[in-house]
Amino acid sequence: MKTFEEKFTAWVDGRLTGSELAAFERELEEHPEALAEKEAALELGGLLRAHLAAPPLRNADFFNQQILQQIESSVRPAAPAPAPRRSFWTLPRMAFSGAFLLLLASLLYFAAVPNTRREVRRDQQYVTNVLNAQSDDPNITATSFHSDQDNVNVVWLDGLSYMPPDHKLK
Amino acid sequence: MPLKGEPLTAPNAAPSVPDDGDLVSRCQRGDTAAFNELVTRYRGKVFAMIYNMVHNEQDAWDLAQDGFLKAWKSIGRFRGQSSFYTWLYRIVMNLTIDFLRRKQVGGETEFDDSIGLRNIDPGSVTTPRTGILPHEKVTGDEIRARIDAAVSRLSPEHRAVILMREIEGMDYREIADALECSMGTVMSRLFYARKKMQSMLRDVYENL
Repeated sequence: MKTFEEKFTAWVDGRLTGSELAAFERELEEHPEALAEKEAALELGGLLRAHLAAPPLRNADFFNQQILQQIESSVRPAAPAPAPRRSFWTLPRMAFSGAFLLLLASLLYFAAVPNTRREVRRDQQYVTNVLNAQSDDPNITATSFHSDQDNVNVVWLDGLSYMPPDHKLK
Repeated sequence: MPLKGEPLTAPNAAPSVPDDGDLVSRCQRGDTAAFNELVTRYRGKVFAMIYNMVHNEQDAWDLAQDGFLKAWKSIGRFRGQSSFYTWLYRIVMNLTIDFLRRKQVGGETEFDDSIGLRNIDPGSVTTPRTGILPHEKVTGDEIRARIDAAVSRLSPEHRAVILMREIEGMDYREIADALECSMGTVMSRLFYARKKMQSMLRDVYENL
């Protein structure tokens, strides 16, 4: 249901037709000033159209350019994400650390393992040298044994008549 | 008669101008050149509409730019339920009406017709111009100032309705879409806006 104002506006703008127009014109018989009001409204429209020409948009190209610049700046790619934190254990560092730990373990071994055991090994090496030595005289025999009680290796030589001075026990 | 495979259009036919729908689709894919074309197409009408609402060139320029930028940001949500032009007007009118409301709340007085008449450059009304007689120019400037004063005394909503109807020639449905209100509201606002303008300008158009 349209109000009087809505119907009056539609009537002024020529939007009422048929039965709706007839019904409204009957309603207007109670408003003798309506026709003059309609004329005034139409004159007003003509006056506005004749005199409300806006000034042209100055620097129209600059207008577009400014808009495009703002669009470009607003869609500028976001700042690159920070690089993921690198682990401390890079491959070179791991290799270096491994070598360092190996060296440390070796040092600890030599520092902590009793010297006697190493001495035994040194003796064993010496005995081995003796045993591997060749002699032209078949009467010379060499025997070695290890004394657990004294923790020493003993080399026993038989048939050796001469001992070079540098091999004498000191 | 064209041979098989031969184009049906004349070889020297002008390239077809893309319609708003094509340009909007391209904009939705991020094509700023298409948006530039839409701006070029509507910048004059948008600027004129805003200018008649705010009566200040710089404000109209800024509001028109804001309107187009907002349209670009929102164009992904445009579904074509109304024309692009109506959709753009909705954005622009919302911005302009908000601007006018802020001016009122901020204490800036409405346009005073006496100020408007004083602001007319004396040189512009006395210097003869080709094609327009001096007295016609005076009359035109005075009428313009009176109309601007009358428009300034309307509420932002009434301004929008009467300008869209009388200057832009938009129909009720388009105005309702642009202002996001019912057609009944548009017609009612138009009724009261016209009444108020008539009462303020009756002496003007009775003495033309």
